Amino acid sequence: MPILTRRSLLAASGAALAMPALGQGNWPNRPIQLVVPWGAGGGTDATARIVGSLLERDLGQPVNVVNRTGGSGVVGHSAIATAAPDGYTIGMITVEITMMHWQGLTQLNPTSYTPLALMNSDPPGVQVKQDSPYQDIKALADAIKARPAGTFKASGTGQGGIWHLALVGWLQAMGLKGDHVRWVPSNGAAPAMQELAAGGVDIVTCSVPEARAMIDAGRAKSLAIMAPQRNPMFAQVPTLNETLGINYSVGAWRGIAAPKNLPAPIAQRYGAALKAAYDNPQFKEFMSSRGFGTVWQDAAGFASFMAEGDRAMGAAMRGAGLARG
Amino acid sequence: MDALLQAFGLVFDPFVLGVIGVSALFGMFVGAMPGLTATMATALLVPVTFFMPPVPALGAIVTATAMAIFAGDIPGAMLRMPGTPASAAYADESYAMTQKGQLNLCMGVNLVFSVAGGMIGVAVLIAFAPLLAEVAINFSSYEYFWLACLGLTCAVFMSNADPVKGFLSLFFGLLLATVGIDPAAGFPRFTFDNVDLMGGVNFVATMIGMFAVSELMRGAVSLDQDAKVVVQAVGNIFKGVGGVFRRYWLNFLRGSAIGTAIGALPGAGADIAAWISYAMSKRFSKQPEKFGTGEVEGIVDATSANNSALASAWIPALVFGIPGDSITAIVIGVLYMKGMNPGPTVFQENPQLIYAVFLIFILANIIMLPLGWAAIKSARQILRAPRNMLLPVILLFCLVGSFAMTNSLYGVVLMLAMGILGWVMEEHGIPVAPLILGLVLGEMLEQTFVQSMIKADGHWLEFFSRPIAGTLGVVTLGIWLVMLGRGFRRGPVAAPA
Amino acid sequence: MRLNDSLLGAILLVFAGWVWWLTTYFPSFPGQDYGPNLFPRILAAGIGLCALLLLLRGLRAGGAALVLEPWTRQPARVASFLMIPGGALAYILLSDPLGFIPTAFLLLLGLFLWFRARPVLALPVAAGMTLLVHWFFAGLMRVPLPRGLLDSVL
Repeated sequence: MPILTRRSLLAASGAALAMPALGQGNWPNRPIQLVVPWGAGGGTDATARIVGSLLERDLGQPVNVVNRTGGSGVVGHSAIATAAPDGYTIGMITVEITMMHWQGLTQLNPTSYTPLALMNSDPPGVQVKQDSPYQDIKALADAIKARPAGTFKASGTGQGGIWHLALVGWLQAMGLKGDHVRWVPSNGAAPAMQELAAGGVDIVTCSVPEARAMIDAGRAKSLAIMAPQRNPMFAQVPTLNETLGINYSVGAWRGIAAPKNLPAPIAQRYGAALKAAYDNPQFKEFMSSRGFGTVWQDAAGFASFMAEGDRAMGAAMRGAGLARG
Repeated sequence: MDALLQAFGLVFDPFVLGVIGVSALFGMFVGAMPGLTATMATALLVPVTFFMPPVPALGAIVTATAMAIFAGDIPGAMLRMPGTPASAAYADESYAMTQKGQLNLCMGVNLVFSVAGGMIGVAVLIAFAPLLAEVAINFSSYEYFWLACLGLTCAVFMSNADPVKGFLSLFFGLLLATVGIDPAAGFPRFTFDNVDLMGGVNFVATMIGMFAVSELMRGAVSLDQDAKVVVQAVGNIFKGVGGVFRRYWLNFLRGSAIGTAIGALPGAGADIAAWISYAMSKRFSKQPEKFGTGEVEGIVDATSANNSALASAWIPALVFGIPGDSITAIVIGVLYMKGMNPGPTVFQENPQLIYAVFLIFILANIIMLPLGWAAIKSARQILRAPRNMLLPVILLFCLVGSFAMTNSLYGVVLMLAMGILGWVMEEHGIPVAPLILGLVLGEMLEQTFVQSMIKADGHWLEFFSRPIAGTLGVVTLGIWLVMLGRGFRRGPVAAPA
Repeated sequence: MRLNDSLLGAILLVFAGWVWWLTTYFPSFPGQDYGPNLFPRILAAGIGLCALLLLLRGLRAGGAALVLEPWTRQPARVASFLMIPGGALAYILLSDPLGFIPTAFLLLLGLFLWFRARPVLALPVAAGMTLLVHWFFAGLMRVPLPRGLLDSVL
């Protein structure tokens, strides 16, 4: 469609116009857009809003959170990548950027951005219904191994989404095939938890904060998390390593990035501002109140973290038959 | 109880009350202007409420629509032009009363029974929604699949249009819902390598196009023939209303009951409630020959019915995420944007928000009395607003509103395309509402179907294996058989547009 | 403007065929009988069936191929009608390069004058509404309305 090409052309010319202004060192002198590829009210949106409000205080210009949703994150991620690299558009990129291109949904990958900082990562949990016959992770794992493939059904997100890969990785670590437990695609974690409570599926492998509402309502419980350590907010939930001796961990992470070729001085200014935001007790307090994990990587660390994650995801998705093209 | 107290705190906040006040005025204005509908008011409100916290956002929608449905009665009685489609059923009757010199009584009856009918609808909503939510917590993809089917079927079954064209509109809406990444395998469908289309067809932009832009196109044609509006002066409107109530209390209860029931059905809203209850009133009246000559009896039924339908339409919307009418279709979109996925879990996770919605409904119906009185008194001024300036301003709101929904020009392009499509459809007597419902429910339908098939390992009978799912399935299939029969008997007579 | 049912049916039949043809490019998934093409195909078939019914019905009923209302023969009315989609199209094309404020002001002013509002009234209302909408959406609601020409001023 012509709009897209026209927009990117405009973006490019906008960048050319903005360059001289940058030389004068008066950046930022107008509002900044923080693009979020996921909907308002969700976890990514909430994280972006707290980061945005802290950046706003530091940089002295309004930071407007703009939700560009849809297409399993493709729309928002490409809005960030195709914006002008003038420092006035940044975005919150998520783990999907290391997955979508393997699925053939987009050409974008982690190298399409100027990474700025990694702020958060949440490990998946293994949730079952409150009155499930499997009261601990060991019983569940044994039952899965004992029964024929396809007996158990699991859900948590769409086909090929992060929580689907979490399940695949866990099954593979137990020496089973990735589709030994049948994946039922859902429109996110909340509907999957509803399906679990209604007895429609046996397992949901979303993160524990996402499952929290149903757990608090006494309709579901978390048997384990796929992480190296326990989460202090949910200290009673063990890790896979403690219980099964499986050292498998994966996570849904969120970080801040800018379009590619962001001028180095601006990138450094963002790096400092984001570090200050990360160290701000308000950020820590907000994240822990929602049960979200906090992780810090600076620009260089974030880049190599994504490169590593991208390779691992490629291998996992090919192994599970989810890669395409 | 804690949640109830919290809800009071949420509602009785100066900002929220301010929003409710402004939306009430907005709703009164939109409702009283012929050609601007309550649905259009909601579609234009959504971009504004998008950035508010959930309670004022929902408060604005509840208040504006309640006011608009009542205010639609005003130009119906004064000019024989219903302000909203929900008032169309009895606009002739109201106008006949005005010609007999009973404008005061007509307005008083419309106002008082709108408030009373609205209250009954709210009472039913408060009583039944939490109970239904308790049941719905055990619903899995099978039950939701059948509910979505039932909702879509009702949309065609209840509309007055020719069933072939109703189905056409519905299939079109469902097809639009398939644009974007598919729920089963994550494959992009009908995107033509366009990133915006991967995000799917934004349905608020679609609504703004179909309900507002197409209306503006129709309005622009007849702008130059707007006759000078002559409006009678209004006196004491409450005189004689008590007598009407004593005489027709049964009509009031019947109208409210019919309205509530129809509102709660997925796919049918206030306008259909008004038509059916007016017809019922005539059918059971002791003096059916007087209907149409300016008799208050039918108005009591219908004006109670359309306002009660408004509240009960929220029952399926809140409990199942299935819209009761085109207004709640938008509400569901708003709830999703606020991260409050409609469904039984909202009642557990955010009971204070649900209570806040109930409180706002009560509040909206209470303030309708003084505001409605003021609107009737100032009807002369409202109806004299220059439409040649109103039309361009509404167009600007449409443009900015649809832009705000996607934060890009994609929303505006979509709105324009849908506006033209909506106009073409109306010209050919193809109803727009089924398309909107299809677009809203399409993803749920396909998602729950795929989920159910995977869970059932491909066995069809599993769709009937759970008691509620089985019942819903049999009911849905039954309605389909009836419709098929009706469609064959109908033959080549096309319903006029 | 109303096409005869038979003509409408024929157009929709072609459309349904086009949709079906597009679905043939959708991949299928091993071990699943219900891939991404299932729903679009059911819907294309549904639209095709409705279109066929319309076609037959239109042929049986006869009548003119195209019915035009009287207003379509009055150029001024047709222009008024086209002003609405035309205005939206102009906004789509101009808002990015010009920015929201100039585009919205020109759009309102142009439409006001076309619909015969008095210039004394049209000018201040167009300016006032533009600023009001900009203040509300860009200021309060933080919608990224295009800044365009006024980028350096805002």
